[in-house]
Amino acid sequence: MNIKFERYTFGKRMKSMLKVDFRRMFTAKLFYIMLGISFVVPILILVMTTMMDGSVSVNPQTGEETVMEAFDSTWQIIGTVNSKAASTDTTAISMDMMIMCNINLLYFGLAALVCIFTSADFRSGYAKNLFTVRAKKTDYVISKTLTCTLGGGLLILGFFIGTMLGGAIAGLPFEMVGFNADNLMMCLLAKMLLIAVFVPIYLLMSVIAKQKLWLSLLLSLMTGMFLFMMIPMLSPLNATGMNVLLCVVGGIVIGTGLGAISNQVLKKTSLV
Amino acid sequence: MNAIEIKGLTKNFKEKQALCGLDMTVPVGAIYGFIGENGSGKSTTEKIICGLIQKSSGSVKLFGKEHTDPDIRARLGVLIEAPGCFSNMSVWNNMMLQAANLDIHNAEQEVVKVLKLVRMEGAAGNKYKNCSLGMKQRIGIAMALLGNPTLLVLDEPINGLDADGMRIMREVLINIAKSGTTVVISSHILGELEKIATHYGIIRNGKMIKEMTAAELNADCRTYVALQTKDLSRTKAILSCKYSRVEEDEAGYIRVFDTVTPEEIVSYLYENGIVIKEIGTAKIGLEEYYIDLMEGK
Repeated sequence: MNIKFERYTFGKRMKSMLKVDFRRMFTAKLFYIMLGISFVVPILILVMTTMMDGSVSVNPQTGEETVMEAFDSTWQIIGTVNSKAASTDTTAISMDMMIMCNINLLYFGLAALVCIFTSADFRSGYAKNLFTVRAKKTDYVISKTLTCTLGGGLLILGFFIGTMLGGAIAGLPFEMVGFNADNLMMCLLAKMLLIAVFVPIYLLMSVIAKQKLWLSLLLSLMTGMFLFMMIPMLSPLNATGMNVLLCVVGGIVIGTGLGAISNQVLKKTSLV
Repeated sequence: MNAIEIKGLTKNFKEKQALCGLDMTVPVGAIYGFIGENGSGKSTTEKIICGLIQKSSGSVKLFGKEHTDPDIRARLGVLIEAPGCFSNMSVWNNMMLQAANLDIHNAEQEVVKVLKLVRMEGAAGNKYKNCSLGMKQRIGIAMALLGNPTLLVLDEPINGLDADGMRIMREVLINIAKSGTTVVISSHILGELEKIATHYGIIRNGKMIKEMTAAELNADCRTYVALQTKDLSRTKAILSCKYSRVEEDEAGYIRVFDTVTPEEIVSYLYENGIVIKEIGTAKIGLEEYYIDLMEGK
């Protein structure tokens, strides 16, 4: 008996894999919770810091006084303006604090999104269904990277919308000093593209840890921490096409390199 | 062409060798009963066939091609251990997700069809985590049947099923095998397996010790004379003097496995003053055959 098998091309395989991942990502509560958090966090930060602007807190033990300072501009929560002078300025340390408390925090949230999303495949046993019919592990890696990058991009967008709303509620100025609207768009684009740099890292950690969500989170946050300072440097408020290009190249290089490693991890290790 | 052809398959884990040179041949369209003790290597073999774990050496061919061929793997239906479903999702959504994974065009109709086959259409809206063990097994089988697979690999699919569930499963498997699908099924419930399998493979310590068709098994399963008397131990002692293999079973019957007729035994025992309460001939089933084989009888 001669049985003929339909050719299962790369395009066909990717189409079905993306269908599965998109369905899962965009019907999952987790994604909408993360999106909600991304939207609400900038509103809370901007409104609360504005409300507490100028208030003084005293350390009862040392008697040291700390004056709370609000953001001077709405855009500070999106990023900072890169300038050579800033590095020699004495306010550089306080600028670093601003770097920590802004949109860049989403990259840690992204770690949770990628790790929970990926480890659910292994914890539920769904990976068995996937990999039985999917001889090519590359499909899985590419699809997960694309889906999580898109999901992460939407988180950035959510944060941006929240920022606009929060700035308006807090009555903060939307003045653009040292950059213009084009730069702001480039900055957001660069941040979205940087997601494509972080997703392959988190994905690799997730396929290494498989069912162990705690391990994938731990590894992802640790590696993410090392690369955290790269985000404000590559995506300042006065970003240009060069920044975007750098992020695209970074995304492609890291995505391909780490994707290949993830692929090998899946190929060489047991999936159940 | 065979649906599965395995030669010299080995799998080494850190502490032990799970498979040591396993050979296995499953003809196209067969219902292959894969039997073995716990830890004998059944699940490991099935996982290697499905690409879930990597082999150490040997060759695994599906329909004449490497088991890693994407065209062939896309035509596999699998239920290994528990079904891979998301517990917080409904049965329907889990099925639709698998339909998307298989790129089934008329997904909704296909899902309804397989759920109906396993009589689970009424539970489509239930959350997977709220389903009973038996329901989960049926869902797993329905999932494996999605997209009319050419090769179906089922690991202990009847575990947790009630009598009705087993009957349904039997009907489903027989019908899909008739349509040309090859089924590999491992189970410890040998009585059930005997009702559907067309071929058997018996594995022990990672090696295939016997492969045969149902007809060969039937020919191999010896007939015996079963009898019951008032004094079983004396009867057994007397019969053991003349016949080489005399056993007492759990139900309180004495079995004589030599080529002998009940009439001969009746006259022999009559000569020795033993009154027979009941006597007849019977044939050993798959379960007993398997136990005998394991015990080296």
